[in-house]
Amino acid sequence: MLRLIKSKFFIVMTVTILMLVVIGVTSSRVSQLNWLNNIISVPLSPVQKFFSYSSQKIEGGFGYFKDVKQVKNENEELKNKISLLEKENRELLRYRVENKELREVLDLKDQFNDYEMVGANVIAKDPGNWFGIFRIDRGGKDGIKSAEGMYYPVINNRGLIGVVLNSDIISSKVVSIIDPGSSVSAIISKTRHQVIVKGDLSLKEKGFCKMDLIPLDADIAVGDTVETSGIGGIFPKGILIGKVKRVMQSGNELGRYAIIEPSVDFKRLEEVFVLKNKTNINEAGSMEK
Amino acid sequence: MKIKIFAYTICIFAIILMQSTVFEYVRIYNVKPNLFIVFIVSIALLRGNVEGAVVGFFAGLSQDIMSGKLLGFYSLLGLYLGLLLGSVNKRLYRENILVVIFFTFISTVAYEVVVCVFGLLFITEVDIVYAMKNIILLEALYNCLAAIFIYIIAVKLNHKFEAANSSKRKY
Repeated sequence: MLRLIKSKFFIVMTVTILMLVVIGVTSSRVSQLNWLNNIISVPLSPVQKFFSYSSQKIEGGFGYFKDVKQVKNENEELKNKISLLEKENRELLRYRVENKELREVLDLKDQFNDYEMVGANVIAKDPGNWFGIFRIDRGGKDGIKSAEGMYYPVINNRGLIGVVLNSDIISSKVVSIIDPGSSVSAIISKTRHQVIVKGDLSLKEKGFCKMDLIPLDADIAVGDTVETSGIGGIFPKGILIGKVKRVMQSGNELGRYAIIEPSVDFKRLEEVFVLKNKTNINEAGSMEK
Repeated sequence: MKIKIFAYTICIFAIILMQSTVFEYVRIYNVKPNLFIVFIVSIALLRGNVEGAVVGFFAGLSQDIMSGKLLGFYSLLGLYLGLLLGSVNKRLYRENILVVIFFTFISTVAYEVVVCVFGLLFITEVDIVYAMKNIILLEALYNCLAAIFIYIIAVKLNHKFEAANSSKRKY
């Protein structure tokens, strides 16, 4: 009997030590052990895809029965807006051509041109309540392979969502910017001041994040837009993050932070784009995460 | 033995699926229950510490693979949860649902505090009071509710296993 308990204890200890080693090894973003993920995620991904697709459809189905009158009014409003936007669009098109020409003259490099966009569907959210991690249905076979110095930013048509954490054959994990523990180097579009946009546990449920390390002389107001700064080598420059929702003062002058409302609605994420760097040699590769 | 592994695998897969897809739409006050904990608690109370630990480990491992930032964190947590609860199972009248609900509550709080401390506190500053009030306690309550259903399923599974066992002994 004593032997049995002893051996049980021995097994538990062995597993514990083994798992601690695994935790240590996988704590780096690119580890050799990532292939282990395939065991469960490969058979599960298609089923998850089906489940999240159908639940999205069901949710959409309920919305169908909303007030028709409201839809009519909205339609009218939207039509007016379209005509306005069309006018603006024509103007912008002209600017675009002009901009392109000027850029060519100045020989400015467009950071977005180095990236290829890969469309993906969100197939699963975080099973727990703590983190802002989700899975997408693109992985190694679509060229999203986590490697040293290779980062895959995830965006959609409205702005920045996050970055691929690691990937297996047919799916990848994405850490969103509202995840507590994620931080993005950003700039305030108007004043060009550098700040950090972080995820925060208490703001995560509303889908907001926190702007920290605001310089003292930065004059920020509600409604200012924030975009990525391109520093750090993870995200390309100029992706929209969101708007300042509130400026908060905590204690002293240095304790200023702001709440950012991301332009992406994290509660209704369905389709995203993964930015894949075309040039395999990343100059920012040596920079830390 | 085979049927047991098969049943546990199906259960764990079903739980991950629900947890990561459908439950997103049934959040109440932005919190969803964690069926992994409930399942581990039920199995550990009914089947003892060895099975509790094994099921806990694999349930945790699958959670790690689905969404963990590290591989192995939830596995270890599940392993110890199953082991600890399995060790108390002989000392109480476990057919009583209130016992299960009580242990589900306690283990959810303990489990999530550990996740919060080791998973978040070392990375960023976290408001523990906020986390306790808005996430952990609520989740514990939902888990207690879910425990009723999961426990019924677990009891049925247990009967099947015991029946399979006793029929084997005849020969």
